[in-house]
Amino acid sequence: MLDRKRGIFAEAWSIGKAVGQAMRITFVNFFRKPVTVHYPTVTRPFPNRFRGLLALTYDKETGEENCIGCRLCEFICPPAVIKVEMLKAEKRNYAKTFTLELYACEFCELCVQVCPTDAIIMMKSFDLATGDRREMLLDKDRLHAIGLQHEPSWATGNLLRDMQQPPKKESKAADAADTADKAKATDKAAGA
Amino acid sequence: MPDVRAIDYAGSERLTMNMGPQHPSAHGVFRAILTLEGETVVGVDAVIGYLHRCHEKLAETLAYVQYPSIASKTDYVAAMSSELAYVMAAERIGQFEVPKRAQYLRVLMSELQRIASHCLWLGTWCMDMGGALGGGATIFLYCIRERELVLDLFESLVGARLLYGFHQVGGVRYDIPEGWTAECRKTIALIEQRLDEYEAMLDDNPFFTMRTKGVGAISRALAQDVGVSGPLLRGSGLNWDLRRNQPYSSYDDFQFDVPVQAAGDCFARYRVRMVEFRQSIRIIRQVLDGLPAGPISSRPGVKSLAQVKVPKGEAYARVEGPRGEVGCFLVADGSNKPYRMKWRGASFSNLAVLPHILIGCGVADVVAIMGSVDPVFGEVDR
Amino acid sequence: MSWGALPPAVQALVMGGVILGALTGILAYVTLLERKFAARLQSRIGPYRVGPRGLLQPIADGVKLLLKEDVIPETADRPVFNLAPVVFLIPCLLIFGVIPFAPGIGVADLDTGVLFFLAISSLEIVGLFMAGWGSNNKYALLSAMRAVNQIISYDLPFIMATLVPVMLAGSLRLSEIAAAQSRLWFIAYPVIGQIAFVFFIITAVAAENRVPFDILEAESELVAGFRVEYSGMKFAIIQLAEYAHVLGTSFLGALLFLGAWAGPGPIWLGPVWFLLKALLVFLLITWVRWSFVRIRVDQILRVSWKLMLPASLLLLLATAATIVWRTPHA
Repeated sequence: MLDRKRGIFAEAWSIGKAVGQAMRITFVNFFRKPVTVHYPTVTRPFPNRFRGLLALTYDKETGEENCIGCRLCEFICPPAVIKVEMLKAEKRNYAKTFTLELYACEFCELCVQVCPTDAIIMMKSFDLATGDRREMLLDKDRLHAIGLQHEPSWATGNLLRDMQQPPKKESKAADAADTADKAKATDKAAGA
Repeated sequence: MPDVRAIDYAGSERLTMNMGPQHPSAHGVFRAILTLEGETVVGVDAVIGYLHRCHEKLAETLAYVQYPSIASKTDYVAAMSSELAYVMAAERIGQFEVPKRAQYLRVLMSELQRIASHCLWLGTWCMDMGGALGGGATIFLYCIRERELVLDLFESLVGARLLYGFHQVGGVRYDIPEGWTAECRKTIALIEQRLDEYEAMLDDNPFFTMRTKGVGAISRALAQDVGVSGPLLRGSGLNWDLRRNQPYSSYDDFQFDVPVQAAGDCFARYRVRMVEFRQSIRIIRQVLDGLPAGPISSRPGVKSLAQVKVPKGEAYARVEGPRGEVGCFLVADGSNKPYRMKWRGASFSNLAVLPHILIGCGVADVVAIMGSVDPVFGEVDR
Repeated sequence: MSWGALPPAVQALVMGGVILGALTGILAYVTLLERKFAARLQSRIGPYRVGPRGLLQPIADGVKLLLKEDVIPETADRPVFNLAPVVFLIPCLLIFGVIPFAPGIGVADLDTGVLFFLAISSLEIVGLFMAGWGSNNKYALLSAMRAVNQIISYDLPFIMATLVPVMLAGSLRLSEIAAAQSRLWFIAYPVIGQIAFVFFIITAVAAENRVPFDILEAESELVAGFRVEYSGMKFAIIQLAEYAHVLGTSFLGALLFLGAWAGPGPIWLGPVWFLLKALLVFLLITWVRWSFVRIRVDQILRVSWKLMLPASLLLLLATAATIVWRTPHA
């Protein structure tokens, strides 16, 4: 602490100055507005793309279930938490059972990305706390209920795949501008 | 090779103290069995492996499309660099091209991640040295306050705050939404301002310099022999930064300085990281100014498990993470899963320097040194 | 029966009881003040959920600590372990016995008030070491050894710093020191007053084991130091004693340097001003605490013996010289 070269008074003065500087910074922060968000009375606004709870959706026009039981989400899921059984019917297929183990889900959004019918999506909510782990084993009814309870995030399978689509070889330039614009448009459409 | 002193358990005043896996300043799960003589450390026996989760085996069972989000869990504080190493290795084997916009986005995310990671490092290090009830906690909360801003940026881009799944083989998964660029510029301007405050609080602070100058000095020879990387290397006088020496992902398009300090002690490493903060901000500004339009992936978005097949071959991809060189060695066999993945965690090699520098210092210095080495045990134990 | 008619022993007893009672209440809320102040320094709000704006937090803490299980390690030295909190608490409360809260109001106004204060306040080391030893825990022992080292080293400069107002006032009696500041507070005394105040703060922070000198409870290394094996009400007593010591030193600082009860308004407002000044000194110590990292024990000792002791001796010499120079020769 004592630097022989500078002499004790210069050293003491520099120490005092440095100490005063540090205390000044803390003092300045005293008058800043606290950054506390008074959760749970106040929740901060979720961004558009928030990856929260998973849910199954219904078709907006017809009201039918979107899920066709193709099991793509089951195969892609890294921790293998999704289990689907397909039910074949005349016009289209359905999911007979759809279980999702939310306690093991890693919220990577890969299932949302691969879904061809935009059936499975993520919601802007993370309220998962429960006293019983069995409540986090979501079955099909529960997943549909979650879909109706909370606000959905922006991402659906088709939107994600469109965003990641490389342009066609013919007109690269036009498509390049197109992709960027499309991203903006989809974000605005799904908007705040 | 400098010899590690063998632990001599004889001696009457020797006290064996366990800085156990549960310890407020172990930075994760790390067990150091210290042999103390009074207050001086005369022997250290490091035990790791408490966080082993079989990443390398897991990579053999998961496809190339599934693994990137798992890769972020190795170095969970700097998830973007971790994912990048994996996808770069796969792209290198398969000679997949990555579009320019994707490369720039990767650089942008890596540098933002560096800022967030260094914020956490500074906060936890000062908290270890200053106490949870004291000045350390103050600096910790300031750093976390700034880190939250960066995490908010990540959240509005990717949807997740800590573990992203942002990269995919051939590019990235998410593009920048409307208004993100303006928010990013605002945030980094604010962080730059706050950095001035941290430096004012710490740089000349006699209490801080007493704890860090001359403590834990890694000589240049030792750093080269043991194989440390990142700020530890640059703090010991070696001018080596993968972003400049072996540029990847368009890093050679950007101008930035690489800080080097000769002293090798904790203060030198602190200075290196503080300069890295500012250089990251500089790179981010350059990326935002020059971000080209274009696709964000050269391959279509993931639609099925068998989509990405990497031809036979092997490659080692290295990135400059906040802690040092993160490397991924992949052996591909033509299917959609790797045959073998070997992960080089930066902290694993950095920790190897501990038995050399902990001998002879006080117990309080152990804490300061551990903090300045900045290990994350996700990548030590994998 | 009027107050003056009571025998002085009974007067002192009643006064002591009133002061102790008021003290316990103030101490509890001083902890809340510290938490809220620290929180604002860190861009956050302190406790605010318990009671309106967190005002019931100390009561909640007290109830919680009362209800906790009292764990005594099996291999601990039971009598020493159990007595240590009490032995730690008594000196910390005794120091309030000699502080006058207003002219004439105080438990005892000793001729050697300052000396009594300093001597008793360093007796807390005994309780501290008993706690460290009785716990039968390596961490606690390390911490107790560091504590003894540190407190003894810093008591000397502490005494020197408090001797400056004593010399300026010419008496060890605390009420006389307070009265001598009626013209000019000692902190306003050119150069010497300010330096003495700065030294007082530094050595007070060190003698009370606050950051940056709190190596003995360095949580990140020793996990609460000598208190590590205590839980429940014993822990509460130790905490209370530490805060009492800090508050007592703040009162002393306010008295020695800031003019004690001097302030605008009627005379009965004096104790209120005194309390406010003591809280100001307390907040200053707290501000220092929440701004710095801690230094190693050998550095703490080096600062004490190589820096603080010579500096405070020089300060005493300078004070003596100034007094001689300014006293008109008869």
